[in-house]
Amino acid sequence: MANNIAEKRRQQEEDDDEEDGDLDGWGERNYADERSWEALQEDESGLLRPLDNKAMYHAQYRRRLRSLSTASNSQHIQKGLIRFLYIVLDLSRAASVMDFRPSRMAVVAKNVEAFIREFFDQNPLSQIALVIIKDGVAYSLTDLGGSPESHVKALMAKLECSGDSSLQNALELVHEYLDQIPSYGNREVLILYSALTTCDPGDIMETIQKCKKSKMRCSVIGLSAEMFICKHLCQETGGLYSVALDESHFKELIMEHAPPPPAIAEFAIANLIKMGFPQRAAEGSISICSCHKECKVDHRKLVLVANKALSILAINPAFMLLVQNANSTFALTATFTFMRVCTIAQVARASELHSEATLHR
Amino acid sequence: MKFQIEDVTVCFPYDHIYPEQYSYMVELKRALDAKGHCLLEMPTGTGKTIALLSLITSYTLSKPQGAIKLIYCTRTVHEMEKTLAELKLLHNYQVKHLGPAAKILAIGLSSRKNLCVNPNVLEANNRDSVDAACRKRTASWVRALSAENPNVETCEFFENYERTASGAVLPPGVYTLQDLRAFGKEKGWCPYFLARHMVQLANVVVYSYQYLLDPKVAGIISKEMQKESVVVFDEAHNIDNVCIEALSVSVRRQTLDGASRNISRIEQEINRFKATDVNRLRDEYKRLVNGLALSGNLPGSDSWLSNPALPDDILREAVPGNIRRAEHFLHVLRRLLQYLTVRLDTEDVEKESPISFVASINNQAGIDQKTLKFCYDRLHSLMLTLEITDTDDFLHVQTICDFATLVGTYSRGFSIIIEPFDERMPHIPDPVLQLSCHDASLAIKPVFDRFQSVVITSGTLSPIDLYPRLLNFHPVVSRSFKMSLTRDCICPMVLTRGSDQLPVSTKFDMRSDPGVVRNYGKLLVEMVSIVPDGIVCFFVSYSYMDGIINTWNESGLLKDVLVVGYVSSFHLVFLMILLFQEIMQHKLVFIETQDVVETTLALDNYRRACDCGRGAVFFSVARGKVAEGIDFDRHYGRLVIMFGIPFQYTLSKILLARLEYLRDTFQIKEGDFLTFDALRQAAQCVGRVIRSKADYGMMIFADKRYSRHDKRSKLPGWILSHLRDAHLNLSTDMALHIAREFLRKMAQPYDKTGSSGKKTLLSQEDLEKMDGSGLQERLY
Repeated sequence: MANNIAEKRRQQEEDDDEEDGDLDGWGERNYADERSWEALQEDESGLLRPLDNKAMYHAQYRRRLRSLSTASNSQHIQKGLIRFLYIVLDLSRAASVMDFRPSRMAVVAKNVEAFIREFFDQNPLSQIALVIIKDGVAYSLTDLGGSPESHVKALMAKLECSGDSSLQNALELVHEYLDQIPSYGNREVLILYSALTTCDPGDIMETIQKCKKSKMRCSVIGLSAEMFICKHLCQETGGLYSVALDESHFKELIMEHAPPPPAIAEFAIANLIKMGFPQRAAEGSISICSCHKECKVDHRKLVLVANKALSILAINPAFMLLVQNANSTFALTATFTFMRVCTIAQVARASELHSEATLHR
Repeated sequence: MKFQIEDVTVCFPYDHIYPEQYSYMVELKRALDAKGHCLLEMPTGTGKTIALLSLITSYTLSKPQGAIKLIYCTRTVHEMEKTLAELKLLHNYQVKHLGPAAKILAIGLSSRKNLCVNPNVLEANNRDSVDAACRKRTASWVRALSAENPNVETCEFFENYERTASGAVLPPGVYTLQDLRAFGKEKGWCPYFLARHMVQLANVVVYSYQYLLDPKVAGIISKEMQKESVVVFDEAHNIDNVCIEALSVSVRRQTLDGASRNISRIEQEINRFKATDVNRLRDEYKRLVNGLALSGNLPGSDSWLSNPALPDDILREAVPGNIRRAEHFLHVLRRLLQYLTVRLDTEDVEKESPISFVASINNQAGIDQKTLKFCYDRLHSLMLTLEITDTDDFLHVQTICDFATLVGTYSRGFSIIIEPFDERMPHIPDPVLQLSCHDASLAIKPVFDRFQSVVITSGTLSPIDLYPRLLNFHPVVSRSFKMSLTRDCICPMVLTRGSDQLPVSTKFDMRSDPGVVRNYGKLLVEMVSIVPDGIVCFFVSYSYMDGIINTWNESGLLKDVLVVGYVSSFHLVFLMILLFQEIMQHKLVFIETQDVVETTLALDNYRRACDCGRGAVFFSVARGKVAEGIDFDRHYGRLVIMFGIPFQYTLSKILLARLEYLRDTFQIKEGDFLTFDALRQAAQCVGRVIRSKADYGMMIFADKRYSRHDKRSKLPGWILSHLRDAHLNLSTDMALHIAREFLRKMAQPYDKTGSSGKKTLLSQEDLEKMDGSGLQERLY
């Protein structure tokens, strides 16, 4: 019996050898690239087996389901629909580490791109801005805006990393911008943090208190390990703190931030905001698309429309009352109405494809 | 929650209990039932203290016929306060649920320095001068004097306390040191003497080891404790060293010089008294003829010295005739000093047994053994007679008498070692005469004999069978408990090789090898880049730490040292805060020094750096202050690296003598003892990072010798059970990989109560549901 098995194994090994021979060059490179050995673990008896992250994934999945079900059960969860989100990317030295393939920076950029698109799909009324930390300072890459393309383009052009990372500088910068946002907007910061340290010019605890005071909801996704200061920041400001296990987990974590979060209690009084949609100034002739500019019409707030088609479709000066921070059913109705407008617009767009192309060229 | 352990209803102040706490209580209860001693090992962070307190108090409540007193010994004042705070919580809970019948009196007792409320006394900064300042105001003759002369300062708190006399009692409750001070201030009573008085009546007393183990103190404080007491030694892994230190004396040149100054002063005093008050000295003489036991009937505040030998040994005998008269006693002391001075003037290391030492004193100085034995008590009596209050000035002569009494009393288990210089610095003459005790069981024997149950407990008591041999007692229960964890939150690793596969070790012939030093440096540099917040590194000794840091620096591994705070000490340069270029990118570096203030400052800054996210590394020394008493829990210590095995300095004469004694008397092999001692230190060091179950941390044992079975197996069970075979023989890059994975895994959210398969938190219903046997099976 034992002989048999040994024989079989030998045969198998030979087979393996042959296969290897065929794919020699490819195999080696692939092997080095994937770092497949890191997915292995030695167990008590000395055998190799794949890392057991399944159980953990499963537990997390169940937890998320549970939190979702509790959220839907309670009638009174209010969601902040109009979000002003600053995404802070840590492009310090630590972002060049290659434990994510090809590097943390590349993985972050790829997923941020996907996130931005997903975000505007789910939050058509919201805006995003990008901030980058590099060489110990933070600077703004794009201002608040509703165009996914411009953000993605700006991000991809700036992908290089160096120097230290400073959480405080980033928070100060974002705070400066977000502090001016009117109170109906949900102020949010999502920090994608590669580094394990922060080199700050002053007392970061004060900055955190400042953020807390101006109701900024700061969330952090770490790429390597849990840091106390990040945890503290999230706890204080009511954000989420998570650490990515691998790329797919990172993607999951970042996508968790796409649906609107619960509104901050103090601003959650249901109130009506007057809104207007742009009017297409001149019919028939090529005009500037007004959706990407901030302006005011008749002292009403103009909704910056994410969906291009919507602005193409000329809606006669119609008002739409949008309820912000109303309870979820109401908000859903409002959103639904809004989405329907978008769909109509898309239908219209199909027929006007040509004119749109010229418009945006 | 309330539950039943056999016939005892245990009141536990929390809603949930860990399974290991439950089984700890079960074992403890059995030991109490058997009225025997026990040894219990349970990892820190599992709520040892509260389990102990709630079981023993509940046990007492359920047995009203024989009230059991609990004597709880801690190592530090800080631990004392923590214990009392927990007891307070428990007491409130018990009173709430069981009514006023559950009321107890629990107090902490500490030195005057911690309890005094008199602002004038507290101005003195160290313990001895606070004691002396107190005596200056409270000694009976001072108070008698102040009755005539109002300018003589007394302590109003003590006066008030004396005036109320027996009326001064504490109402039942739990009193921390702070509560005692507050109570004393409010009532105007001296908290120290109140506490001293209440110790006899209290149900629970929390104080320091010394009050039981050091015969000098134990004679005063713990003499009258009843036999039906349970004595607990918490954090007792070093108890043998405490016992030995309590009976060891070392004499240097300064001691001898100081002592001869003291003797001159005493002589002056004697002459003064002869001129003014001859009767006093004559009374004393008569008292001494009757024996020392009778001289004890002095007021309580005056008893500040006691016999360093075991109580009852000599108290019944009369003082020998040749030292009854004060002048004669001084002559004897002078001769003794002279003899010791001659002995100190030696060129070679000498080792002698007490018997031959006493014989040689007898020959050359003409002092026999019996006279030596009485020295301490005779001095005590003389100083009281002479009404000397500034006792802190007389420490030197006290040391000499202490020495004489110990030499005269014990003939076994001690040796006298005279060293002309420190071996590590042979060119600096520093003669020292040491009377070192080798037998830990001598000091603790009266405790075992006197009290019905003695509980020795700690986080690290491995190997658990060695302690009974060292302390020479027979425990009825000796058990080691494991930690039940919801996730694998400790990750011990044994690193045997650097990335270049060369072995690393601090073995004597390898430690200065550049390859080893480089590999240790590399390990640290790599680790700081992947571990967040705080890292603690332990080295085997100060000199090794200094050496390795210098070599790292010189070899260019840690380029451009940027010294922020630079403090130089007398022979070694200690760097307080260094910022190494390579490490600095990730973390700040802080170093423990032999200076307490500097170290405290460094620790404080280290914590700040961890808090604000900058990250920090703390370099420390095994057996140092930090390794013993400071916690690096949560983000203050995510990783601890133990560079090498912290063996004692094996060429030390004292250690060699002790090893020899242990081998001859207890049949403990030298190697076994050294390994045991080194590994309990290592376990203490790495145990600093885990202080609770919600915490997580990694431990790296960086020495190839840890992978050997004889070394590794002496680590405590709770570390061994997490030390997987795959982590036994790692190189730096493998350890890095494991660390990365571990940190990611630990950062994920988790279920605190544990999944349904293995419960780590038991509620009252859980306990009721499963009968004791079922639980036992699941635990082991």
